[in-house]
Amino acid sequence: MVNKGLRLVLAAGLSLTLAACTGGGGTPAPAPESGEAGGALSGEITFQTWSLKNDRFTPYFESVIDAFETEHPDVTVNWMDQPGDGYEDKILQQANSNTLPDVINLPPEFAYKLAQVDQLTDLRAADAATVDLYVPGAVTAYEYPEIEGVYAYPWYLGTDLNFWNMELLGKAGITEADLPTTIDGIFELASKVAKETNGEVKIISESPKMGTLNNAGVELIKDGQFAFNTPDAVALIDKYHQAFLDGALPAEALSGNYLGNSALFKQGKVAYTTASAGFASELEKEAPTLLANTVATARIGNPPLFVQGISVAKTSKNPTVALEFAKFVTNNDNQIEFLKIAQGFFPGTQAANDNPESFTSVIENALQKDATEKAASSIKNAKPEYPIQFTYAMDTYFKQQVALAVRGDISSQEALDKALQNANDSME
Amino acid sequence: MKSLRGLTPYLLAFPAVLWVLVFSIWPFLNTVVLSFTDARPLRTPEPVGLANYAKLFRDEQFGYAVTTSLTYTLIAVPLLTFLPLLLALLVKAKLPGISFFRTTFYFPVIASVVVVGIIWMWMFDSQGLVNQTLQMLGITDRPVNFLVDRWLIILTAALLTIWKGLGYYMVVYLAALGSIDKELYEAAALDGAGPIRRFWSVTVPGVRGAMLLVTALITAAAMRVFSELFVLTNGSGGPGGHAMSLVMQIKQVGSGLAGQIGYASALSVALFVLTIGPMLFVGWVQQGDNVREGIRNWQKARAFKKSQRVAA
Repeated sequence: MVNKGLRLVLAAGLSLTLAACTGGGGTPAPAPESGEAGGALSGEITFQTWSLKNDRFTPYFESVIDAFETEHPDVTVNWMDQPGDGYEDKILQQANSNTLPDVINLPPEFAYKLAQVDQLTDLRAADAATVDLYVPGAVTAYEYPEIEGVYAYPWYLGTDLNFWNMELLGKAGITEADLPTTIDGIFELASKVAKETNGEVKIISESPKMGTLNNAGVELIKDGQFAFNTPDAVALIDKYHQAFLDGALPAEALSGNYLGNSALFKQGKVAYTTASAGFASELEKEAPTLLANTVATARIGNPPLFVQGISVAKTSKNPTVALEFAKFVTNNDNQIEFLKIAQGFFPGTQAANDNPESFTSVIENALQKDATEKAASSIKNAKPEYPIQFTYAMDTYFKQQVALAVRGDISSQEALDKALQNANDSME
Repeated sequence: MKSLRGLTPYLLAFPAVLWVLVFSIWPFLNTVVLSFTDARPLRTPEPVGLANYAKLFRDEQFGYAVTTSLTYTLIAVPLLTFLPLLLALLVKAKLPGISFFRTTFYFPVIASVVVVGIIWMWMFDSQGLVNQTLQMLGITDRPVNFLVDRWLIILTAALLTIWKGLGYYMVVYLAALGSIDKELYEAAALDGAGPIRRFWSVTVPGVRGAMLLVTALITAAAMRVFSELFVLTNGSGGPGGHAMSLVMQIKQVGSGLAGQIGYASALSVALFVLTIGPMLFVGWVQQGDNVREGIRNWQKARAFKKSQRVAA
């Protein structure tokens, strides 16, 4: 029940949320922790980020680049940032024209497509020891079926929590002690609250998507073929259908018309949303009156993992410099400093996650701190929401069919069968 | 020098021809070629013959998209052809302050379709202004699913297009109305023609050229509708994607690093054919008399030549 559908949107959301999140400043650490080539580096490289050139992050990146250039006086790093919208098209354009930046911020699904056509450097082959410094689950996100290697250093990670508006829930007599701890419990609560408030307070405001099945533990892919039309998946979609009948799910959610639970939550239209830990800072900024009545709980079911990574283009004219800079940007100290600004997210290095206090100590918002600490326990078990082969078009079709099932136009089994066939037919 | 002077027309036409070749003809031909391949981003396309076109007929989504685009066109074209004309007649009168109304009617044209679409989305939401008003007036006792039901989504999107386009086409008609001789109206009135008769017998023939232009523009735009439906359904095309237009389907299928460019190209060619059809029909309806007269004249000339040959 994350806000925006599929991985692509989640990746964009992760990036954009990061661009919007609040926090204090930080300075980069000068020394890379490992993998230093030792010899004098020289040359010019380009470093591309995604929607991170703004008042909040620009000083940080300039400091990181300055530190690297100071350490390697013969190196020049040209930093460019791409806007949030249209990043995929930009990457495609750059890859088509053989002008991919040397060091590039990529979510796993973009890196997958580039790795398939041999445009990215295998970082395990380049320096296996460094790869081992990162969170294994996040590294796995950049390991792809039938392609040997690792194609990005995990940079910053996110997962979801549950946020509850206790003031709205109070209208149905729900207290913090009544909050559910199982997926079935969410549906029971949703129906109960809808009935008690005559449909005024809604809890489920998103039609199921592929990530919903993953969250509920449904096996999505088996032996290289999608296999998500299981009885468990059917039962889950049936629960959404029942919630729709009970008035616990707004009709617009079926057409994806709502901007997502978190937007509705901020507007006070729903009492429940899933969002990253940084959501607390958003509330503080955009809906401060909700902050005091909002409670965060650990995500129910399998927590999703959202990852952003730093890749090195295989076409780089200065591959050694590019590799060293990629390691430098994502080294433990620099990630900690980055996360002090990007509050609510988590670093990609194991060492930083072993010591969350290193980046959470600067958090002042009480809900934000509580949420981050709860998310810190989930992030270790978090896994990507979708198999990497599952594309945007597949997810759109999936949601369209499942929305029909939720409305009762077709059966849940039929919707899942059609979505499955489409996904398998469309798989490369 | 003389020979160079002979080249002048070609040199002057060259930039325009180059522009058309590079930005219109070549992309079109490239799309046609790609439609016979399995093209995907960053891959070398392989020819697949008519496979993409065969897939069109098996694709349930394509059927929905064609129906959506055609329905939308059937609603938008007649209304956007005649309503701006009536509006133009209304604001044509030289009254004090009439320019204020002309300007006001033009305002929606300037507004971004995305921004307007979002506002309409709020208005037609189950908790939006329209539903609240309907319920307050007792017309309905529960919210109307404007943005969930397939046909209501299409109707809402068409109304948005009409509301937004009225001002633009009103200006086109205002210019055309200015060229109609007032004596024609006077003569018709003297002959006893009432306002409706004068509208059909003087106004409509007088703006026929502008009407053809307007109808052709609207038809082409309506068949390619995207923004309105995309914004109102948040890109989903409604439950089941049943309110997805052809352009929305092309975007869904062909965009991104995993896009199926070959199939999206076949969809584009189908859209081209489907757009040309209604435009030819519109042309026939609007200029049918002229065309039929031209054909008759051509047949007469042919018969005359034949008779002359026989006589010789």
